[in-house]
Amino acid sequence: MREHIQGAVQFVSNNRLKFDRPAQPIEALPDPGQTFGYVNKEVPQPSPKEVLAKLETPEIKERCADLLSRYPVGQGALLEVLWLVQGVFGWVPREGIRWAAKVCGCAPAHALGVATFYTMYNHAPKGKFLLQFCRNISCTIKGAPALIAHVEKSLNIKTGETTPDGLFTLLQVECLGSCGNGPMMLVNDDFATDVENDQLVMKPGTTLTEESIARILKWCYAHEDNVPKHDVLGGIVKGHGGHPGAPGATAKPQVADYAPPSPVLNVKAEADENGATLTWKGAPEFTKIVVEKKNGSKWDVVGEPGVKDKAFVDAAGKVGDVYRMIATSGERTAKPSNEAVTTQKPAPVEEAK
Amino acid sequence: MAECVKVCTQNFGKGAQDIEVYKKLGGYANISERLFNMSQFELIDYVQRSNLRGRGGAGFPTGMKWSFVPRNSGKPVYIVVNADEGEGGTFKDHFLMLEDPHRLIEGLIIAAWALGSRAAYIYCRGEFLPCIESINKALNQAYAAGYLGENIMGTKFCFDIFVHRGAGAYICGEETALINSLEGQKGQPRLKPPFPAVSGAWKSPTCVNNVETIMALPWILQHDPSEYAKMGTPRAGGTKVFCISGDVKNPGVYEAPLGTPMMTMINEYAGGVVGGKLKAVLPGGSSCAPLTAEEAAVATMDYECLASMKTMFGSGAMIVINDTHNMVDLLNCLGNFYSHESCGQCTPCREGTGLLHRMLNLIVEGKGHDGDVELMQSLCGGFGGVTICPLSISLGGPVSSYTAKFRADFDEYIAKNPDHAKPRVQETYRPGIFW
Ligand SMILES: Cc1cc2nc3c(=O)[nH]c(=O)nc-3n(C[C@H](O)[C@H](O)[C@H](O)COP(=O)(O)O)c2cc1C
Ligand code: SF4
Ligand code: FES
Repeated sequence: MREHIQGAVQFVSNNRLKFDRPAQPIEALPDPGQTFGYVNKEVPQPSPKEVLAKLETPEIKERCADLLSRYPVGQGALLEVLWLVQGVFGWVPREGIRWAAKVCGCAPAHALGVATFYTMYNHAPKGKFLLQFCRNISCTIKGAPALIAHVEKSLNIKTGETTPDGLFTLLQVECLGSCGNGPMMLVNDDFATDVENDQLVMKPGTTLTEESIARILKWCYAHEDNVPKHDVLGGIVKGHGGHPGAPGATAKPQVADYAPPSPVLNVKAEADENGATLTWKGAPEFTKIVVEKKNGSKWDVVGEPGVKDKAFVDAAGKVGDVYRMIATSGERTAKPSNEAVTTQKPAPVEEAK
Repeated sequence: MAECVKVCTQNFGKGAQDIEVYKKLGGYANISERLFNMSQFELIDYVQRSNLRGRGGAGFPTGMKWSFVPRNSGKPVYIVVNADEGEGGTFKDHFLMLEDPHRLIEGLIIAAWALGSRAAYIYCRGEFLPCIESINKALNQAYAAGYLGENIMGTKFCFDIFVHRGAGAYICGEETALINSLEGQKGQPRLKPPFPAVSGAWKSPTCVNNVETIMALPWILQHDPSEYAKMGTPRAGGTKVFCISGDVKNPGVYEAPLGTPMMTMINEYAGGVVGGKLKAVLPGGSSCAPLTAEEAAVATMDYECLASMKTMFGSGAMIVINDTHNMVDLLNCLGNFYSHESCGQCTPCREGTGLLHRMLNLIVEGKGHDGDVELMQSLCGGFGGVTICPLSISLGGPVSSYTAKFRADFDEYIAKNPDHAKPRVQETYRPGIFW
């Protein structure tokens, strides 16, 4: 998160500004390799032609159109389009960021800012298997630091590095939201505590151990040539018409009167020598409220309180009278409220002095 | 352990990811039987009477939040589900979405009916790709069955749900940062007011709710709100999905009524403390103050009791710590975490969390000095009320309370430095680049 600022400051101080104090090596916060590929590191970029050839396929075009139809403003799809880029390359090359900006109709500088803010976008190629170990509090309690040290030793790399054979990249990340199984790791996109039936699994009650890590690494070696791949956006959802008004969307806006009109709720009536006092709960959209009193089998209108009023007094009301209220919102009149039987108002309790 | 009604976790382990199974278990009955006869106002009143409070951390009454959303403002109303679960020790949403995605969809339809929303977004953190797959599969089934889309089941009501994959930023759990991220910007919190309920995503009224909050709705509508309110405490109704992790025999997610004693949760649900004696419990995720063993013995898991003990209920994530751990190591984890996740907008937070992180690192490396603890405490005093979001306090709070309650642990580490009595040379803790 703060790396995008650190990166920018470092870039500026490396390249542009000359301070009058002697040049100092800039000391970053000790943060063992959390983000992969810092902004200010030189990473060889593929040529724009190569990048565009891979991105401008009919399949990706279709997905982009689907994504853009979901948000009222194209920029909303930026994170998702960047995910598509990462799905193709395994990381986000600069030209890919520029392409994503064009797709979403925002400035390339904005897209670069976004791509460097979020830690899951990789800015340099990584190994075939990205191992992300949680180092947050619950996992630390359960022994994550020792386990990470063990993995570093068995792969002979440090956190943030890739093995020379290009198979594993090791990262330490924050809470992975699976602390009950902690220590926890992600292998690419899969939570894993063990291998079962040739698949990575995270079963309740299991945690990572040195042995299960050995099994997971063995599984990785076995799948070196056919790394299981997930769709970066978790599959395609069919059937939606997009966001009303978005490009390519067929959806219509919500009509205001889809639900029955709101009635008055919770009418209560209490009588004392001044008559019956009614209280109720009203909705903000009411335009008119009518109070009715039961008269045999008919209902007589006794008054019309203001829509913002909190109480209504019927001077002729007495204990046993039955009231109801009917609300109108705009053109629509709602069903009557509950029928409230008037009760005796309790005498105010004298406060003991 | 008393058998309790399961509201959110009732379908766990029953294969409810499939719509047919979910329907057999009583799912979507609300939609076909009750929902469409209710007015928006009645439904919001229903939720208010159930005493449901937000499960995302702040614990704001959900019905009240909904009643703030202006109706008929002429702008679309958005519902955004906060599935950016990133707080250390919290993992309930992960399993709720994996096991019962249809309940989330049903809850969203109910919320959309109440608020008049046309489109909802599920903001799921990037690491939860398996959850996104599970939800997308469920969405496809729900669209095919006609529960989503245009003119749902012959009514005038239209509603769509989209999943938005985040990309790894804890701060996007904060509701305004979440909205910025949804809009395709950096996930930096916004100044409030305006509150999202009035002007949120794309300047329209937006209601941000946690996954568990939304998933409680189908049960509430199916039963009476008073039945939900009856479980739990007078000021917060219902059950809560607790996540218990750390030094316990059976860590995991357990649903229990609010107000359950803490030791019942630890001993009966999670099988007791292992590896040593109980030293401390974090009752509500990594950003709350710890309770010592004596305090834990009398605490109950609800908003009021924990607030009175100067900690918080948070997301209901209990982290149990035994006496083999030194609290400085754990605080150092949090220093790492919060300084890394600070979005960098507010100077006190960006610099302060970094400085605390650096000092904790030095103490753990055996380079602590006398007076470091006081220096850290004075730093934490500078966070309150001067930052846009409470992330800075999420580190400041723990630092003040860990140092106050477990001072011996800090002194033990500082004593490892042979020169600890000498004053600290300032340069050694300056982060460097921001000064
Ligand atoms: C730094 C920070 C991180 C947060 N992270 C989360 C989170 O991961 N999940 C969540 O549901 N709420 C999180 N919240 C709380 C949200 O801001 C918000 O209160 C919540 O989503 C509201 O939903 P609710 O009313 O259903 O609880 C976070 C808040 C802050 C300040
Ligand atoms: S307090 Fe920290 S995380 Fe929150 S807005 Fe300010 S800098 Fe960002
Ligand atoms: S603390 Fe490791 S997964 Fe949550």
